[in-house]
Amino acid sequence: MSVSACLTLAGIHLLVWVRNRNAWANVLFSLTAFSTAAWAFCELWMMWADTPLQFATVLKWGHVAVWSLVLSLVGFVRLYLKSGRPWLAWTACGLRTSSLLLNFLTGQNLNYLEITRLGHVRFLGESVSIAEGVPNPWMLVGQLSLVVWLIFTTDAAVTTWRRGDRHRALTVGGSIVFFALVSSIQAPLVFWGIIHTPVSASLFFTGLVTVMGYELSGEAVRASQLDRKLQQSEAGLHEIEERMRLAVEGADFGIWVRDLVRNEIWATEKWRALFGFSETERLELDKILERIHRDDRNAFHLMVEKAAEGDGSYQTEYRLVLAGGETRWIDSHGRVEFDGSGKPILVRGVSHEITERKQAEHESQNLRGEIAHAGRVSMMGQLASALAHEISQPLGAILRNAEAAELFLQDASPDLEEIRAILADIRKDDQRAGHVIDRMRGLLKRQDLDKRPVDVAELVGEVVALVRSDATARHVKLELTVADHLPPVFGDAVHLQQVLLNLIVNGMDAIDEVKGGDRRVNVSASLDGPHTVEIAVSDSGPGVPADKLAHIFDPFFTTKPRGMGMGLSISRAIIEAHRGRIWAENQSEGGASFRFTLPIAEEGI
Amino acid sequence: MNEPTPIVHVVDDDTSFLTAISRLLRANGFSVKTYSSAHEFLAQRDADSPGCVLADLQMPEMNGLDLQSALTETSNPLPILFLTGHGDIPTSVRAMRGGAEDFLEKRAPQKKLVDAVTRALARGSRERELRARQRELRARFGTLTERELEVLSLVVQGKLNKQIAGDLGIHERTVKLHRTAITTKLKVQSVAELTRLTQEAGIFPESLRTFPKGQ
Repeated sequence: MSVSACLTLAGIHLLVWVRNRNAWANVLFSLTAFSTAAWAFCELWMMWADTPLQFATVLKWGHVAVWSLVLSLVGFVRLYLKSGRPWLAWTACGLRTSSLLLNFLTGQNLNYLEITRLGHVRFLGESVSIAEGVPNPWMLVGQLSLVVWLIFTTDAAVTTWRRGDRHRALTVGGSIVFFALVSSIQAPLVFWGIIHTPVSASLFFTGLVTVMGYELSGEAVRASQLDRKLQQSEAGLHEIEERMRLAVEGADFGIWVRDLVRNEIWATEKWRALFGFSETERLELDKILERIHRDDRNAFHLMVEKAAEGDGSYQTEYRLVLAGGETRWIDSHGRVEFDGSGKPILVRGVSHEITERKQAEHESQNLRGEIAHAGRVSMMGQLASALAHEISQPLGAILRNAEAAELFLQDASPDLEEIRAILADIRKDDQRAGHVIDRMRGLLKRQDLDKRPVDVAELVGEVVALVRSDATARHVKLELTVADHLPPVFGDAVHLQQVLLNLIVNGMDAIDEVKGGDRRVNVSASLDGPHTVEIAVSDSGPGVPADKLAHIFDPFFTTKPRGMGMGLSISRAIIEAHRGRIWAENQSEGGASFRFTLPIAEEGI
Repeated sequence: MNEPTPIVHVVDDDTSFLTAISRLLRANGFSVKTYSSAHEFLAQRDADSPGCVLADLQMPEMNGLDLQSALTETSNPLPILFLTGHGDIPTSVRAMRGGAEDFLEKRAPQKKLVDAVTRALARGSRERELRARQRELRARFGTLTERELEVLSLVVQGKLNKQIAGDLGIHERTVKLHRTAITTKLKVQSVAELTRLTQEAGIFPESLRTFPKGQ
């Protein structure tokens, strides 16, 4: 009965292993059950043995079953409890294997050198055979192996218990220890001839197999429960995925994943629509890059490279140019994933369109520009007005004093004291006028020039954008020529823009003095030596008369009928405060060219 | 009459310019007095001396326009000329409406300045004479009695003695006596002269314009 029960369990757990090749514990359990069945079969055979030789032979082969039983249980404990000291396991297995060898090499079997006769005793109501003879002393090796095995199992059970897995420690460890202890106490007593009963260890092992079988089937139940839970959570996962998809689509986000190892790109429908790909079109990096605006492509590359070198995340904004010529602004967040060795293997990204936001930003920037322009113009107006008042006092005094002196000198006997006083006053007033100008220049110099690296293309571009509509209204063609890769200059963008604005407006005014012909103002920026950038504003006007070239930057010097004569002198003050130089020249092809230099922003400044 | 020399009163907070312009005006033969603020001028000026005022428009505390309105309220409203660093139209319009003689830039040509001052002084003396004559006439008319003034008002309306006597309910002879007293007191010879003088003195402004009824 126990044989068939063990065989059934062995069969079931072998099937478990067939279906799940990773269930090694089930294989070992199956082996245990199979060995138990084999040993029980041998015991039964021994009980009914007719001759001592038959008994000895069955016992000898029965040891193979014992060997496989011990080994499979050692393995099972290691796998199932995931504890037990390996050296104890190896010792137990080694000793058991040695005893199996001794079983075949010494005496009739491991237990008897020779069975001399068979005795008969009553066992469970039947008359069964028991052996009598000379015990084999090598049997001690076998018994030692059982002791080591017990120690190993006990140790494993205790470890498991301490780890908190008390149920397993008790059912698996405890039962093995209990049944093994009982059987390995009974067997030696029988073999050493101390008690006279048949060897019935299989009964204990059947108990052991039953307990373990129960434990493993519990495991199977748990597994099936887990499976059900897994299915539920999969359904949940699907639900979450669906919600995510809704959220992502609702927020107009396009998601894309680039597998760097397999060189594949996957993207959501939204992303494809955003980047102008059809739903089936194969995504390739080159094709995507092609759609990014030429000016933004490099920045995009750099950003991703930087992310791969840094913490992996990046955020960038760039323009897409679609087949129809439509431009879209895209905001892209992404993360690079690395393998164990730190090699990037995957890039995930979320993209969404920000064209409207960009347009709004652009408009508000324009508005800000216009306000700044108005502010600058009124500031210059106020400055000029204050200056005119302050300077008219000393200049008026000088004039009146000089006129008075002339009249006094017409006297027959002029009052020289009076004239001397007049001259002293003239000198004093001249100095006063000079101070006013110095103060004003100082004001510009001191006026918290907020110097920092300034991108030349941006600086020039902003001013040109500012006067563009003015130029169009005045039928002036405004050209912009900025050299590539200009280093940033060191300066105050607001003040520099004021200078540029002044020069451009001057240029347009000059063009109005010429009737017909080319109406053009060119703004250019280029490198002038290793440390300087030169910016030029050239017009197609009449040019500056040669005798006035040297004076046009003087305060109050003007060639315009209603000019204040302040623009260029303020411009010079600003440029000089930037350690730059400003000058004017006439172009060989006609028109004037106003040029100024600025130091480039070098490191460490 | 023994008129005192007219004086050009220059008011400017900028002492340097003040000195310079007073030198120039003196060199041009004017008598000049300088003041560094409008308050100083109002406190020091002679209540009844001929001249004109040359004032800077932009001064702290009391500016040129304030000075102008303060001056017109006095018994000796001297003509005022304004000086400015740079003229702006709204201010100059206000100044001219307020009766400013002229509006000059500080660096205006000398001739323009001298001409303007001369003109202002001339106007000043003209207005001064007018004021003096009016004062004198008012004094003369002041000697007339109530009844004489009543008779005078009817005479200048061109009424005959008989009509006047009827209007006032008195004898024609009494009217004649009043008329003799009037001409003696006012030192006039003819009715025409009497009418002109009455007009000049600015009394009876209403009645003079009223045409006699029934004629």
